[in-house]
Amino acid sequence: MEGFALKLSRFTILALLLAVFGITACSKAPDGALRFGLAKAPITLDPRFATDAVSARINRLIYQSLIDFDESYRVIPALAQWQQVSPRHYRFKLRDSATFHDGSPLTAADIKATYDSILDPAINSPHRAGFDMIETIQVVDNNTVDFMLTKPDLLFPGRLVMGIMPAAALKAKQLFNRQPLGSGPFAFDGWPEEGTLHLKRLVDRQRFSFIAVENPTVRVLKLMRGEIDMLQNDIPSEMVTYLEKQEAIQVIKGRGSNFTYLGFNLEDAETGNLKLRQAIAYALDRDTIIRYVMGGAATPASALLPPDHWAGTDLPLYGYDPARARLLLKEAGFTQAKRPHLVYKTSSDPFRIRLATIIQQQLTDIGIDVEMRSYDWGTFYGDIKAGRFQMFSLSWVGIKTPDIFRYAFHSSAVPPEGSNRGRYSDSITDALIEAAEAAPTLEQQAEEYKKVQARLLEQLPYVPLWYEDHIFAARKNISGYTVARDGNYDGLTHVTRH
Amino acid sequence: MKFLLSRLASALIVVMGVSALVFLFLYMVPGDPVEVMLGESAQPADREALRRALGLDQPLLTQMGHYYYNLLHLDLGNSLYSQRPISEMLLERMPATVELALASLLVAVLIAFPMGVLAAVRKDTPWDQGAMGLSLVGISVPNFLMGPILILVFSLWLGWFPVSGRDGLISLILPAITLGTAMSSILSRMVRATVLETLNEDYIRTARAKGLSERLVIWRHALRNALLPVITLLGLQLGVLLGGAVITEVVFSWPGLGSLTIESIQRRDYPVVQACVLLISLAYVLVNTLTDLVYGWLDPRVRLEGGR
Repeated sequence: MEGFALKLSRFTILALLLAVFGITACSKAPDGALRFGLAKAPITLDPRFATDAVSARINRLIYQSLIDFDESYRVIPALAQWQQVSPRHYRFKLRDSATFHDGSPLTAADIKATYDSILDPAINSPHRAGFDMIETIQVVDNNTVDFMLTKPDLLFPGRLVMGIMPAAALKAKQLFNRQPLGSGPFAFDGWPEEGTLHLKRLVDRQRFSFIAVENPTVRVLKLMRGEIDMLQNDIPSEMVTYLEKQEAIQVIKGRGSNFTYLGFNLEDAETGNLKLRQAIAYALDRDTIIRYVMGGAATPASALLPPDHWAGTDLPLYGYDPARARLLLKEAGFTQAKRPHLVYKTSSDPFRIRLATIIQQQLTDIGIDVEMRSYDWGTFYGDIKAGRFQMFSLSWVGIKTPDIFRYAFHSSAVPPEGSNRGRYSDSITDALIEAAEAAPTLEQQAEEYKKVQARLLEQLPYVPLWYEDHIFAARKNISGYTVARDGNYDGLTHVTRH
Repeated sequence: MKFLLSRLASALIVVMGVSALVFLFLYMVPGDPVEVMLGESAQPADREALRRALGLDQPLLTQMGHYYYNLLHLDLGNSLYSQRPISEMLLERMPATVELALASLLVAVLIAFPMGVLAAVRKDTPWDQGAMGLSLVGISVPNFLMGPILILVFSLWLGWFPVSGRDGLISLILPAITLGTAMSSILSRMVRATVLETLNEDYIRTARAKGLSERLVIWRHALRNALLPVITLLGLQLGVLLGGAVITEVVFSWPGLGSLTIESIQRRDYPVVQACVLLISLAYVLVNTLTDLVYGWLDPRVRLEGGR
C-alpha cells in the first residue's frame, strides 16, 4: 500500500502536468489585429434578438440599416432614402447598390424579409412591439419598398434601425447568431469563444478582435501593457484620471446623451409630495459629484433629451441650494423631529452604489434619512417595474426619438404597458404628450415636446442628474477614432495603428 | 463491485437532488427572464407569447417534468438569451475550467507538500513558524486581491506574463498561482498535521531503529501514510475548482464555468444556470466518488465498511 501511495503521488503530479500542458488552448487575436476591450461580450449577433448595448453596437458594424441619425438625432438616410407618400404610407428607395458580405446584392426583398421576420410572432423577437404600427410591407421593385402603417406616425423612419439581413438566409433559417451575414463595413471573422470575437474591416482587410474583460482594473492594465489597443467606457473615473497621466495612453472624452436620473414612486405618501422632491432636487450638489466622482466626465441635465436634440430644450437647472431645500422640506410638513425616511434602491453596480452613498449623504445633510438597498440587476429591475420602491436611480441609454415621453410619463404607460415606473399621473402632461403626437410636422412636434419637458421639470417625477460622457482610451499609436454621441463603435471604421 | 455500485447510486441521488433544489430556488428567486429579455417596450401579448414559447407559463411540476425528461434524453436545451445549445456553451467553457483546476491543484501540491513536511519535521522551530505563517497569509489574502497584485508585479512591472485572458500556457500561470496558493495554505497545514501524527507511530520508530536515514524515514514511511487524508482533501478541492473559481475567472478574464454561471444568474437565464449547477454537482460528486474509490483501494478497511 505504501509503495502504491508514493507512486500515486508521483502519478498525480505527472498527470496534472500532462493534463495542463495537453489541454491548454489558445484564443489569441490574429496577428496584426486591432484589439478592442469590452466589459461584456456581445450576447447575439442576430439583430432581431439583440437587446444589450454591446450586441447592438457590434451589429451596427456588421449590418447596415435603412436610416441613421445625425448629431442632433435627426433621421438621415443610410441604405435608403424615403418619402412620406401619405400619413400612413412611407416609401423607401435604396440609395446605392449595396451587397452582403457573401457578394449577393441587397434588395427590397431583403428589407421586407427582415421586417417580416421581426413581425412574425413565431420568431419571438423582443423588438416586435416597436414595429406594431406596420400594417403591410410591399416590394415595389428591386430597390423600392412600401411600408403601410395602421396609424400616422411622423417618427416612423427613425424606428427603422434594424440591420438588414438577406432574405435567402432568413428563409433558410440561418443561425445569424453564429453566422452573421450583413452588408456593413465589417464582416464576421470568427467567434472562437464567448469573450473573443473577430471581425474584418472590408475596406482594407484590417482584422479586429473584441476581447471581453469584465474587471475594469484588469482591462486598464491590459491596455497599459499593450494586450489590447483600445477600450471605451465602463471604467471608473479614478482609472480615467490614472490613464490620462500615462505617457503611452491617450484618452478622448466625447459628450454623451445617456441620461441619469433619480426616480420616485408618486403613489407613495412621502415621495408623492412635490415639495419633498423639489427639496431633493435642490439638495443635490451635482457639480461636485461630477467633478470629484465622475472626473468631470458628465454634463448636468435638466431634461431627458439633451438640449441639442432636435426636440430638446435648454431648461434651467436645479442648482445646489441646501437652505432652499430645508425650507421646502419644512413646507412639505417635515421637521427635525419628523424627518422623512426614504428607501433608495439601486443595482449592485459598484459605481451606482458609490453614487447612491453620496446622494444619501447629501440628503441626510438637509434632513432626509435615506436607507440604501442594493440588489442584483434582475431583482432591482423587477422591483422598479412592480413599483416596489420609493426612490431609485437609473439611466436611459440610447434614446433617440421623443416618443420616450409617452412611454415613460403618460398615465397609460404604467408597467407592463410602458415604462412609467413611478406611476406618474398628470392630466396636463398627458394632454401635452398627446398634442405633440398629433402635431402635423416634426418642427411643431419639437415645440410641443419642449412644453412636455418644461412640465416634467416642474412636476419632477424624475430629478434629472446628468448626461454621462463617453470615454475612449487607446495606446498612443492608435488614431482616427471618433467618439459617437450614443457610444456606438462606428469610430472603428476609420481607426488605424501606426 | 457492491461498494462501487453503492457509491454511484448515492452520487446519482445527490445530483438529481441538487438539480431539483436549484430548480425550486430559481423558481422562487425574484426577477423574470422574460422581462429581462424583452425589456419594458414589449407588449403584454409578446411577453405571454415568449413565456409560452419558453414553457415558463407551465406549472412548476410540469416544467420540472419536462426538464428531467429532456435531461434523460441528454438534451440540456437552449440558452434563453443567445438561443445557443447549452451543451455547446458548456463544452466551450469546460476545457478552461478543467485546465485551471488541474494547474491550480498542481501549484498547491508543489507548494504544500514540501512546506507541510518541512513544518512537521522542524516542528516548533522558526522553519515551522515561517511556513505556517506563510500559509496563514495565503489563506487570509483573498483571490480578488492576490490576482491584481500578481498582475501588477509579474505582468505590468516585470512583463513576464499576460495580464489576463486564455492565451496559451503562459496565461495559465498567474491564475493558477492565485488559486493554488490559497489552496496550498490549507493543504500544507493538513500535510503538517498528518505527518506529525505519523511521525509518532511505532513503525517510524522501528524504521529509525533499523538505522534508516531520516530522509528515507520521512519521505518513504511517514509521508506515504500521511497521504491518505490529504488525498481526500485534494479530491474535495478539485471538486470545488471544477465548479469554476468565479472570482479568479473574473479577475483574469478566464472563460470558465464559474463566470458563465454568474452571468446566467444575472440574466435569469434559468436553463443555463440549471445546466451549470448540474455539471458542477456532477463534477463534484464524480471527483468525490473517485476519491472514495481510491481511498477504498488504498485502505481495505474503508472498502469493507462501505460494502457492508
